[in-house]
Amino acid sequence: MADHHVIIDNLVKTYPGAQKPSVDHVSFSLPRGEMLALLGPSGCGKTTILRMIAGLIAPSSGAIRLDGRDVSAIPVYKRNMGMVFQAYALFPHMTVAENISFGLEMRKVGRAEREERVRKALDLVKLAGFGERKVSQLSGGQQQRAAIARSLVIEPELLLLDEPLSNLDAKLRDEMRDEIRDIQARTGVTAIFVTHDQDEALSMADRLAVMSAGKLEQIGTPLDIFDRPQTHFVASFIGAGTFFEGRVAGPGLAEVDGLPLLHFAGEAAIGSSIKLMVRPHRLLLAGEPGQPNSFSGVVEHIVYRGQILTLSVRCGSRVLQADLPTHAGVLPKKGDNVTLTVAPDDVTLIGREAA
Amino acid sequence: MSAAVTAPASGAPAASRGILLILLLPGLVALIITFLLPLLWLLRASFASSAVGALSGGDWTLEAYTTVLFDPFYWRVAWNTLVVGFNVAIFAVILSYPIALFLVRTQSRFRGVLTALAVAPLLTSSVVRTYGWMVILGDRGVINSTLQSLSLTDGVIRLTNNSFGATVALIEILMPYAILAMLSGFGRLNVQLEEAAAMLGASRLKVFTRIVLPLSLPGVLTAALLVFVLAISAFVTPRLMGGGRVFVLGTEVFNEATVTLNWPLAAALSVMLLVLFSSIILLYQRALRALEV
Repeated sequence: MADHHVIIDNLVKTYPGAQKPSVDHVSFSLPRGEMLALLGPSGCGKTTILRMIAGLIAPSSGAIRLDGRDVSAIPVYKRNMGMVFQAYALFPHMTVAENISFGLEMRKVGRAEREERVRKALDLVKLAGFGERKVSQLSGGQQQRAAIARSLVIEPELLLLDEPLSNLDAKLRDEMRDEIRDIQARTGVTAIFVTHDQDEALSMADRLAVMSAGKLEQIGTPLDIFDRPQTHFVASFIGAGTFFEGRVAGPGLAEVDGLPLLHFAGEAAIGSSIKLMVRPHRLLLAGEPGQPNSFSGVVEHIVYRGQILTLSVRCGSRVLQADLPTHAGVLPKKGDNVTLTVAPDDVTLIGREAA
Repeated sequence: MSAAVTAPASGAPAASRGILLILLLPGLVALIITFLLPLLWLLRASFASSAVGALSGGDWTLEAYTTVLFDPFYWRVAWNTLVVGFNVAIFAVILSYPIALFLVRTQSRFRGVLTALAVAPLLTSSVVRTYGWMVILGDRGVINSTLQSLSLTDGVIRLTNNSFGATVALIEILMPYAILAMLSGFGRLNVQLEEAAAMLGASRLKVFTRIVLPLSLPGVLTAALLVFVLAISAFVTPRLMGGGRVFVLGTEVFNEATVTLNWPLAAALSVMLLVLFSSIILLYQRALRALEV
């Protein structure tokens, strides 16, 4: 941890007059070259963290360390970080090349070198030949690329992206997602981006930091976050799932109200209360009624979504969500009695490390 | 500016065009009666022979224009008008710029109130405000009596009855217009652009000179034009603050029309003012286009 490139250490931000801090003792760190997603619902403090790292707002307490040195007292214009704003914030009175060149001018880079680096930056984001255009003559995706080029040309210590894809339409978003990932990998720049979109976070980031109400809930790889959520918030915010409150009845065995016994992965003290989660795509159309890990019920609702069929199955007082692949032979219809089953490994114990 | 006059979709069917014409008609008629006809009549009057002919047709003559163009007095009047107009425009804009910039950028919840306060002087008549300035700048006004009682000066410092007084009063009276024009012209300013510039290494001074100033220039130009036009057509303030000793086009038009009753000359002077207006507006549009390409 100590040799990590970026270390966020107990960062707190309380706005004047606010009852609770917007960012509440958040710590995390990134090794060089990593791409981290700050993920959470709006108002969770993720953008505030990004702006504190950038130096656009001052932390109430805590430190931001780059290569071990605290930069929180360095003014924004001396921090040497690149930022891609949600609305791009390209300067409308300059050409694309002038926009990209701006940061180099501020660094008093000579004209010849400036032109060379601007050209390379345009190449990097596939905007070669667009340098002389006015910003208003670019499409949304091109503006996004220009903004990325502008923030990378200064060879920043750290690249910050604020909701980088939210202003693009769906098709362009997928394209830019790969593009940004690719550019980041090629330049090797350490990057932090803010998003409220879990797909974006899961697909772009090396690791995710999930936030809720100013606090860091969990940080980990996309796989960790999705398959081993440590809190109920993380489990419910990322992906869908059915949750069970229960009591541990034996090793890896839980009693859940109104349902058969449930085998789960992980360890918990016998007699303790636990929370379990089953992802919809882990349920299979199989099993014997009454057996452990089997749920029998009536199909209440069906949504056909092309590759998968989402069922809502009523089992007693509970409704389970199940995603079945549509190529799985005969598919149930509304009103059918079905039995679903789930492997013990796919019953996730929330809040504890899986065994 | 030009976006406001978007033409109806060029492919509009004939029927809807007819409706558009009908909807335009009342405004058009009003404009013709209250603006175009008087303007034509003003032009006609400026070519009439002095004394009688102004109202009743009569001969066409260039008499009024020869007077205006060959009498050095009127050249001086035109020059005075331009000088007062430029001075007022420049100082009103310089003084209003920080106020407008603050009002656009402030996050204060009193922003609305502050904006209203900034333009509140418009609620009082400019005549009243001119008299206010006479009280301040007059020979026995606040400034002179203070300076004298402090024995800083012996005699009276002439602050009124000259173009200095008229200029000072016009600057203050026209500032609210400048602020309003800038507020509406600062649309391209945006805090994120300033933040982006700072992230790229621009100090506050650089952010101002490279981002804020260029982006606010269209608003500044609009404000300058508006104030200039209002200043060169002003009549009450130059008249009262000038004490009859400041000759600008506005006061001369009034003199010829009501004192010497030389209506053709008054009309010719008005046409001159119009020509000044139009050339300034043409220049302004050129400049604006150059800024926004």
